[in-house]
Order: sequence, then structure tokens, then C-alpha cells
Amino acid sequence: MSTTTTDLQDEIDTHASHDDHHHGPEKGLMRWVKTTNHKDIGTLYIWFAFTMLLIGGAMAMYIRAELFQPGMQFFDPQFFNQMTTLHGLIMVFGAIMPAFVGLANWQIPLMIGAKDMALPRMNNWSFWILPFAGAMLLSTLFMEGGAPAFGWTFYAPLSTTFAPDSTDFFIFAIHMLGFSSIMGAINVIATIMNMRAPDMKLMDMPLFVWTWFITAFLLIAAMPVLAGAVTMMLTDRNFGTSFFDAAGGGDPVMFQHIFWFFGHPEVYIMILPAFGIVSQIIPTFARKPLFGYSSMVYATASIALLSFVVWGHHMFLAGMPIGGQLYFMYATILISVPTGVKVFNWITTMWRGSMSFETPMLWAVAFVILFTIGGFSGLMLGIAPADIQYQDTYFVVAHFHYVLVTGALFSIIAAVFYWLPKWCGRMYNEKLAKVHFWWAVISVNVLFFPQHFLGLAGMPRRIPDYSLQFADFNMISSIGGFAFGASFILLTYIIVDCIRNGKPVNGRVWESAKGLEWSVDSPAPYHTFDTPPTRKQILEETSHIGH
Amino acid sequence: MNYIILIFFIFIIYSLASALYYMMKDGGGSKRMVKALTLRVGISILLFLFILFSFWMGWIKPAGVA
Amino acid sequence: MQSRSDYFVPDGSYWPILGSIGMAALLGGFAASLHDSLVGTISMILGFGIIIFMLFGWIGQVINESETGTYNLQVDKSFRIGMGWFIFSEVMFFAAFFGALFYARQLSVPWLAGEGNNFWTGENLWPEFKSVWPLIKMPDTTNFTVPKGIIEAWEIPAINTLTLLTSGATLTYAHWSLMDENRSGLIGGLIATIILGVIFLGLQAFEYIEAYQHLDLKLTSGIYGSTFFMLTGFHGLHVTLGTIMLIVILMRAIRGHFKKDRHFGFEAVAWYWHFVDVVWLGLFIVVYWL
Repeated sequence: MSTTTTDLQDEIDTHASHDDHHHGPEKGLMRWVKTTNHKDIGTLYIWFAFTMLLIGGAMAMYIRAELFQPGMQFFDPQFFNQMTTLHGLIMVFGAIMPAFVGLANWQIPLMIGAKDMALPRMNNWSFWILPFAGAMLLSTLFMEGGAPAFGWTFYAPLSTTFAPDSTDFFIFAIHMLGFSSIMGAINVIATIMNMRAPDMKLMDMPLFVWTWFITAFLLIAAMPVLAGAVTMMLTDRNFGTSFFDAAGGGDPVMFQHIFWFFGHPEVYIMILPAFGIVSQIIPTFARKPLFGYSSMVYATASIALLSFVVWGHHMFLAGMPIGGQLYFMYATILISVPTGVKVFNWITTMWRGSMSFETPMLWAVAFVILFTIGGFSGLMLGIAPADIQYQDTYFVVAHFHYVLVTGALFSIIAAVFYWLPKWCGRMYNEKLAKVHFWWAVISVNVLFFPQHFLGLAGMPRRIPDYSLQFADFNMISSIGGFAFGASFILLTYIIVDCIRNGKPVNGRVWESAKGLEWSVDSPAPYHTFDTPPTRKQILEETSHIGH
Repeated sequence: MNYIILIFFIFIIYSLASALYYMMKDGGGSKRMVKALTLRVGISILLFLFILFSFWMGWIKPAGVA
Repeated sequence: MQSRSDYFVPDGSYWPILGSIGMAALLGGFAASLHDSLVGTISMILGFGIIIFMLFGWIGQVINESETGTYNLQVDKSFRIGMGWFIFSEVMFFAAFFGALFYARQLSVPWLAGEGNNFWTGENLWPEFKSVWPLIKMPDTTNFTVPKGIIEAWEIPAINTLTLLTSGATLTYAHWSLMDENRSGLIGGLIATIILGVIFLGLQAFEYIEAYQHLDLKLTSGIYGSTFFMLTGFHGLHVTLGTIMLIVILMRAIRGHFKKDRHFGFEAVAWYWHFVDVVWLGLFIVVYWL
């Protein structure tokens, strides 16, 4: 894999002329270890995320295999719980978040006309922490007592008093992942504030850049709180403190408050960049400027602000005064206003556009529809009295998989199809990609839609066995799961095939795409925008201004 | 009394935060940062003296085992 | 010296990967040593060494690049933004622990004693338990150490507050001296700040020993001990870091680094010190007073 990209980029470099300090990439493996180039680091991030996605996906296959039929089939319950826990942690911290940071690394400098990220050496460090943290997290599987089995939310006292020894490794893996995210976010902020082309105003920026800018603030505010939570867990486990132990005056519910104070902004960390991606793709294929650009920016900012004051809706049943329940319910439902603004803007952008449905557009449209389903089930869960029924059932599982799989993951796949030709200079196989899209989008609905029914009928989440009345829907869901899992084999093939054998493309891959990234060659040269773009160029490449 | 201390504290945080803002915004040449930091030290010392004074007047007493 | 005009993008570097290896060795080793693994302890020490080596190497390279005019004003600005938002992340980290303190004081301790609609909680779990702060007698004392008392605000804490406040003043004096191109004032102010910082740390260590040996106030002393030691402990860690950074700045000042209008390293460390100072003031008020 890496050799191909290296060759490609070497080729580019011999063509381009550079002044003294601008040599091309180094040769060999050390290029990737030492690199300070935002494109290299973006590539590393995306491949790492893809690897983690496959590992986490394999765990999901285990889970669906066990749930294929009632009764205990393959694993003991302890191992099943380890699988659900690690699946969640790996997908959130190993796949979705690094994938977005990878996209940010590749695209933000290209989209704002910057020559690189603002702090390139630190950029390298934020990536290279990840493989170590990921390895530490996965190594818990092979430890005595097994991996953490308390769910990805690691509530106390399951994660303190009753957890296996490997939990301490999990804690430090989280510390490292958080450290990496914070450094990545600082870099994004410094890049956008300081490296933007001098003639590009904030409100000229493409929406992907805007949404990432806001996401970066969320990361800086939320990740340290998670670090604090796991630190308290560490001392409760090993040094006799009693933060989460009522016998010492603490409170296990306090863990939930601290965790969700991080956890809810985290939800938006995983979806705001997705909003940005979709807002880039839809105008390109609808051949119209994005409808309501500034309202999109304000909506993103208000979602981000609100995300810090709604964490209690995750804990309606954990013991909360009625006033708290009411407040958290109304605040939560308020978020649907800015989210609705976004969905309507995407639809209005498509309205009367000359639409065409290349693969990125298919994924983006699927995102809008399926994410909205996830949003609606979120509204249902946000209603405190109704949540008494839904809490801890498969309805919750269905809800967050609709927003994270058909939301966040779909947007990442859309982004990869949209920008892959720019990255490697070659076009993917459109026919195969469409086959893959329909395969994935049908199977993912077979996988997750029946889980709504299971949840409403009362099937609890995080269990390896269930009563007979849930058997049919579980079997359907598992079949969908295997089909969806298999679709990633095809996806891998399409991407590898594109990088190796794809037809070369020119700079403007999509004929109606606007944005500075399309004004450079495909594949993007190793160094771009050594001289920042002019105001004229920026205006030409920005669809929402100058009309 | 707690509120007065709180107000002092808000001013301290404000001057500290504005120093951070000036550090990010201005280059090294500007004196706004060092002025904000001077203000922050000044208010902090005032607050400490105020706590001292209120203790002496018996308005507040330290946390302790009753 | 003329600084280069374009934005400096460094060549590939080994420091980050070294940092990652060090971090993994340190934290992985720490986790293992918590479960009595000797290899873990060795790995932890090794990892710590690697990180120290990496920090000196990396920061040394940055200082060198800075002094040889590699950074233009735009790079300087990136560092400023980076430092600013890093500090913000630190604020949020402390916020988690302050949040835990307030939650325990205002909510969980009163609830355990039956406040609000928690009458039956109190009645069923620990009917004898009374809600007071500082919480000396935790609901169930079997697994915890009941302290004989707590650290009095008018002893070491007040002296320490005065020490840190004075150090803020001496640092500000150094800052003004730098702006007024008074090199000896800068160096003198820095030396005074460092000495005060070391005094603070010494007194803090003394206070901890006092708490452990005479008062039986330990990490295991229920939620009061937990919040007390975690808050003051993390603060102490930051003072330690700040002191080390001030020493680096002092060395640079002696070597003639920093100009009237180019001294970001000084500003960053100074702000960090003021931040740590204010956190202490907050601790002094909410932990020892209110």
C-alpha cells in the first residue's frame, strides 16, 4: 500500500520544481515515522482508522453471531461483554475520531490555502500516540482476567470495584487517546486561525473547515474532563480514594455526571465534521451553492454550545430530581432546532438543483435520510417520561448506531469517495462503488432497523442471551450485520483498486466542485500553497459568496 | 461575604483570561499582557488582605472540624 | 538577526515517535507496576527517562531554531495560539476535580444523610451518618481512615498563599524588567520567583507529611481526603512543572535570549505561572475556607 503512494508522490515531486528546503518525501518506512507533512499524517490517520474499523467490525460480527439465536452459542457471557465494550471504545476512539482528524489533516490546509498545519511536529506526535494507545487497549484482551467488560461508558462501580486488573491499562490508553485528540484539536485551531490565506475571511471558509473549527473547541473542552474522570477511577481503584464510593461520601452517580459532561459533547465531536462533509458534497452534485451558509455556521455553533448543557438526558433513570429531568429534557429537545435548520438547508440545496448521483452524493443523501431517522429516535429518547421505557434497551442501540454508522461513518465513506481522487490522482470504479453503496445501505437498515422493534418490545442491551420472542428480529438483524460486514471487503477492494489501477484524473475531479482543494493538481502535490491564493482565486472557488 | 470573595475572584479570572487573550492576539511588543497580569497580581493580593481582614473582624472563619 | 520570511515547516523529526514510545512505556509500566510487576516498574522508570530526554531534545531544538531566526512572526503566533488553548484544556482538567468537590459537598454528602427526597437513602444505608463539611466521619468507616483533624487554613496554607502571591509579584517585576530592557531585573525577578516556588513546594510537602503522620488525613480519608489530595496534588504537580519551566527561562535569560518585542517563551511560562497561582487562590478559598 504505502509503496504505491510513495512512488506516486515521488513522481509528482520530480515534476514539480521546488526551492531549496522543499525536497520531496523521504524514502522508506522512516518517511512515515518522521513525517511533518499534513498529507502524510492525514494518510496515516485514515489508514489507522480503517484498520481499527475492521478490528471493531470483527468484534461486532462476534456479537451478532452470538445473538443470531437465543441461548448461548459461541462465547461465555464475560467474553461477550468484553466484545461489546471494546467494540464501542475502538469504534469511537480508534475509528471515527481518528478518521475525522485524518480528513482534517488532509483537507483543512488545502481548503484554506495553507502550506501545512500550523504545528507540524506536534501533528506527527498526535498521530503516533494512537498506535501505541490502540495497542495498549487491545492488549487488555490477552491479560489475566480478560479485557474490560463494563461497557464503553465504564460506569462506576463496575469499572472500579468490580473490574479486572486490565482496567488500569484501559485507563492509560484513554489518557493517551485524549492527549492525542487535544493536541490534534489545538493544531486544527491554530491552523484555521493563523494559516488561513490572508484574503480568506472566516465567513469565506468552507463548511467542513467551520465544523471542524467548532469541533476542535469541543474536543479541547471535553477531553480533559474525560481524563479527569479516568484519573479519579484510577485512584479509586488503586489508591483508596472514594470519589465514586458512597461509603466514603462519594457517589457512583457522580461518575455518570462527569462522564456524560464529556460524553455528550463527544457525540457532537463525532457528528459536526460529518455535517461539514455533507455540506461540501451536496452543493457539488446539486450544482447549486449551499443554501443558508451563515445559518449553517450559526447552527453548528449553537449545537456545540448546547451540547455542554444537556448531559443529564443520558441519566434520566440514574436518580435525578424532577426539576433536573425537566430541564435536561427541554434543553435536549432545543437541539433539534439547529439540527433541523441543517437538514432543511441540505434539502433546500438539492431543491431544483441539477442533481447527479455519483457515489459521494449517494452516501451524502443516505446520510441526510438515515441520520434524520437517528435524530428522530434521539428526540424520542430525550423525552424524560418516555425514556423510562426506552432506557437500556435495543432502542438506544438502534438510535446511536443510526447516528454513528449511517451518520458519522457514512459521511466518512462519502468524504473518502469525494476526495480520494484528489489524494491519489486516480478515479475509483464508479460501477463497483455503486454496487457497494446499495449493498451497504440496504444491509445496514436490515441490521439496525429491527433493533428499534426489539427495543420497544423490551429487549435489554448488552446481553448475550434473550427470550424467545426476540428471536426473529435478532436473526434478521444478524443477517443484515453479516452482509454489512462483508460489504467492507468490497470497499477495501475498491479503494486499493483505485489507488493502484484507477484512471488518472485532472485537478477538478468533479466538474462543478468548488473549493481551493480543486484548484491544485490531482494527486495533490507534496507541498501545496507555498504562496497563498489570491482574493480572486478564493472568490472563484467559493460558491456561497460573490453571487 | 462569600459573594464579595466571589466577585474578587471573577475579576482575577477576568484579568488572567484577558492576559491570555492579549498573549494570543498581540505580538511580544505590546504591553497589554503584562498590564493585565499586574492587575491580576494586584487584585489577588487585595483579596488575600480582604480575607485576612474579614477573619480578623470575625466575618468569616476557616473550614475546620467543629 | 533577520528571521526568515516564509512559514517554517520543519523536516521530519524523531522526537514525536520517541515521545510516544516513552509515554507508552511510562503509562503501560505504571499500570503493570500497580499489579506488582517488576518489569512494569522498570519500564515506567525507563519511559520517564525517555520522556525527559525527548522533552529536552525537542524543546532544545525549538529554542535553537528560535534563536537562529527560523521562526517568523506567524510561527510565533501559532505557538501563542497553541499555548493558549493548551492552557484552556488544563483549566477543564482542573474543572473536573473542582466539579467533583462541589458535587460531593453540595449533593452527595447531604443526600447520603437523607436531604431532599433521599430520606430513605439515609435511613436504610447509614442512619447514623450526618452531613458536615469538612467530612471527617464518612458513612462507613471500615475501609477508610478517619482523620483526627484537617489542615488549618491559618497555618501553612496561608503562608503558602502569601508565598505564591509574592512569586506572582516578583514574576511581574521580571516581566516589566524585560519590557524595560533591564536584564538584571529580569534575572533577579526570575530567581526570586523560582526560590519562592521551591519554598512553596517544600512547605506543601511538609504539610502532606504532617497530614499523613499526625492527622491521619490521607488519600483514603473518604471524599474529603480524596478531593483535598487530588486537587492540591495536581496543583503541586503543576507548580513543579512551572518551576522547571521557569528554570529553563532563567537559563535562557542569562544567555541573553528574549528581546523586548520577541519573548514568547517567557510570556507562555509567565502566564502558566499566573494560572497556577490563581488555581491555588481558588483552592485556598474553597478547600480551606468556605
